[in-house]
Amino acid sequence: MESDRIVFHGTLAELLDKVERGEMVPRLQASHAPPCKFWTAFQVLNGIRHMVPVIHGPKGCTYSVAASYKMPGCEYRGVPFEPTTCTAQNEVDVVYGGEGKLLEAVREADRRYNPDLIVILSCCCSGITGDDVEGVAHTASREVRARVLAIRSEGFGGDFRSGYEDAFRVVMDLMEPRREIMKGYINIIGAREGPTYTEWSQDLDELTRLLAAIGVRVNGVLCGGCTVEQLRRAPSVELNASWCYDWGQKFGDLMEARFGVPYARTGQPYGLAATEEWALGVAVPLGLEERAREVLRKEAEAVAPELETLRRCFEGKTALIEISEFPGPIRALSLARMTQELGAHPIVINLHPYTVKERMPSIKFLLQRGQNPEVILTKGLFALGSFASSSETQAEVEDIARQYDRAIYVGTPLRQPGVPQLNMTTITGFPQYGFAGIRNMARLVQSGLAHASRPRSRLFRQVLYGD
Amino acid sequence: MATDHHRPDAFSGGPSAAGDADEAARPRADRPRERCHDPYLRCALYGAAQATLGVRGCCVLSHSPQGCFQLVDAAFGWQDADYTETLTLCTKLCEDEIVHGGEDLLERTILEARDLDVPVMFVLTACGPEIVGDDVTAVCEHVAPRVGFRIVPVLCAGFRGDQYHGTDIALEAMLEHLEPDERPLRRPRSVCLLAPHANCNPTWMGDLAWVQEVLARLGATVVATLTHETLPAELERVPEAEACLVLSHDAGQRAADWLARRYGIEQWCRGVPLPIGFSNTRRWLTELGARLGAASEVERIIAEGERAVVAACRRKGLEQSAFHRAPVAIVADATVGIPLVRFITEDLEMIPRLVCLRSGQPATRDLLARELADLGLQPRVEFEADVYRARQALAEVRPEMVLGSNIERHAVEALGIPFVFRIADPISRFRMVNRAYFGYTGMLNLIECMQNDWWDRYRSRDRRYRARW
Repeated sequence: MESDRIVFHGTLAELLDKVERGEMVPRLQASHAPPCKFWTAFQVLNGIRHMVPVIHGPKGCTYSVAASYKMPGCEYRGVPFEPTTCTAQNEVDVVYGGEGKLLEAVREADRRYNPDLIVILSCCCSGITGDDVEGVAHTASREVRARVLAIRSEGFGGDFRSGYEDAFRVVMDLMEPRREIMKGYINIIGAREGPTYTEWSQDLDELTRLLAAIGVRVNGVLCGGCTVEQLRRAPSVELNASWCYDWGQKFGDLMEARFGVPYARTGQPYGLAATEEWALGVAVPLGLEERAREVLRKEAEAVAPELETLRRCFEGKTALIEISEFPGPIRALSLARMTQELGAHPIVINLHPYTVKERMPSIKFLLQRGQNPEVILTKGLFALGSFASSSETQAEVEDIARQYDRAIYVGTPLRQPGVPQLNMTTITGFPQYGFAGIRNMARLVQSGLAHASRPRSRLFRQVLYGD
Repeated sequence: MATDHHRPDAFSGGPSAAGDADEAARPRADRPRERCHDPYLRCALYGAAQATLGVRGCCVLSHSPQGCFQLVDAAFGWQDADYTETLTLCTKLCEDEIVHGGEDLLERTILEARDLDVPVMFVLTACGPEIVGDDVTAVCEHVAPRVGFRIVPVLCAGFRGDQYHGTDIALEAMLEHLEPDERPLRRPRSVCLLAPHANCNPTWMGDLAWVQEVLARLGATVVATLTHETLPAELERVPEAEACLVLSHDAGQRAADWLARRYGIEQWCRGVPLPIGFSNTRRWLTELGARLGAASEVERIIAEGERAVVAACRRKGLEQSAFHRAPVAIVADATVGIPLVRFITEDLEMIPRLVCLRSGQPATRDLLARELADLGLQPRVEFEADVYRARQALAEVRPEMVLGSNIERHAVEALGIPFVFRIADPISRFRMVNRAYFGYTGMLNLIECMQNDWWDRYRSRDRRYRARW
């Protein structure tokens, strides 16, 4: 391996340490640009049914989130088309302020759209000019039929993660105190209705299927298409569980602190052990352990051939895992755990320091649970421009794959390092979570091994790397 | 004969609330201004990014928080930019830069990019830095001697206006900053094409290609296209042009006016609907032929084109039963929407009952009024429509068909309007090959879109019983 191509090689704990000390910060401004706080706050709130956003800003922010999240929601998730509105701020509003216009917009939204909830989101313009969005929400809530909330979500005001977390915080204002406990009910928390590709409906379907078999009912998936009513009674469930530990963690902690709702701290259900852990994490506190163990035993028996296939394919191999950018870093770490359980030595490639910085609590949680895989960061991760990054990283991953006997690449089809390969990013409509995920991954790994010697197509090579 | 109804000032601005029938009936000026807007358009930053990313191999630096960078990414796609050539950067402004100013960060980011092999960098400004008063122009001038490329500041904060306004701002900035030191000689029979990308055809590059092909046949030279795959050298050749053609009814007019003032470059085909359908195409080509002294070649193009359209429809099939006298709504930009009126009325025998445009520049309003008067049509007309107003108008007019986008396809779900033909962006249909709406193949492309969506709706989604195998 050419050492000048490797920027970091160590354990996850060592990488975290460097990031905490402020090292590994990308030099170039444009090297990694996820959405801003406004986008991510919208993403969470967009997951509430019959919610009309009144974005206190210009048209550009508004159309962009509508096109990115609202329309795909209609196409992919089958949700009905509902409005995404704004105050269409112009130069006059910027100079003189726009609180009056905002109040009128909220009234108009209530009259026009008959929503259950109106959320005012501030943008850069209204954030800088200091319009009092909370004050307007308070005034409006006395005049209109819908509930009205406000969130300070100006794009410069925080990183992308703060948008999710602040939105979860605001959503809690819709919740009523924990009263009579809804026996046998849980919330699945930390979801966002985007859709984002990291949040597949099929994964959530697998979780709800498993819960139903155990005898657990779901009050709502917060905020993945939930209603205001589900949010209102959310604190009265027996337990909160997360579809993804990372996104649920903050929401779970916040609801635990404010309402006393217990939170099942489990990782993503990739592979047998993590799936059992996830299911028991819910069943045990609800007093359903016996039934759950019986369900898990039967489910595990049913996927025994697939588990055997996975073990055969991974045993004694080095699993090079590179899905940190898409479908996400926490999934990469979950896959590392799964491949280790199947007898492989996992190495996570290109877990961006930015993403580590944004996910410190989740990564520390995983480290506490004993997950500390090897991590390699390559130079291409920090290259300027997507093309430079793509072609450079391909060469680097090829180099890494050559260094290990019996390597298997678990990652993105953007690369083909010349070893057996699993495409873990294909949006196939098949889940990766739970027992259905085990079946799906067994099918994928068989195909990857059977066709490992096939070359990368000239078309793909030229499109991706410009060869 | 024009009636009062067709005068622009008599046009309806649309209702602002479902229950406000009296409000809908009131003249536009008397009605309270709408405050709650569900936009079809993005902001000026996006339009400026669209225009600048059409310059081949350039670098676009967005001086903005990282969210605005997503708009630049969207514009990158709209221009079919190639990621092996064109680079997009962002200063990723945070609270610090909003409080203390972002000029240092902008300078540092430009200097970090100095090794890039690009001829020109466009620096686009978002709302934040413009409100806090970053002097972007001064930073660009200050840093220019230390980099190997030209830097063009484009002040295009989102609050300045919509995406068409942003395109106008960017075109003007390009023309001003990149004009040659010496004025070149005028090149006879040459044209400059303006704003081809301000067009809701998702593959508008097909329209541009048709225009370029026609001009070549008429013996004209295109000295510059502002913008699509524009070579930086083309920008300096703009003053050589004898004339300019604005390929949009939504943007580009300001640049044409600037060229007229600065260089005396004449605008051809001004006030003529863009070439969609037999009559519009004939009219547009005929003016070009007259300007270029190529009338007989134009007649040949028209004869060949019209023959080809008729032959294709005769051989492959034209759904007269779908179109004939069908009450129709057009929901689109002015670039496609206005020419469609004549095309669907004259060629497809449809009856436009609603024309709902996302934009509404004064010249556009006049042009549509003239077209409607000439065709003897009295549809309801909406300018600068947002999604709510479009949906309300559709609910009230209840056309049988909508020529629109995927937005209307979803928005009319509960309205009982059977057909939505997706021709305007966004269409949720992938197109690998550019399909023109302009010219004769363009007519066939539009008919094909309409007939496919018509058949899709016609086909049953349900099965009355299960198969046995």
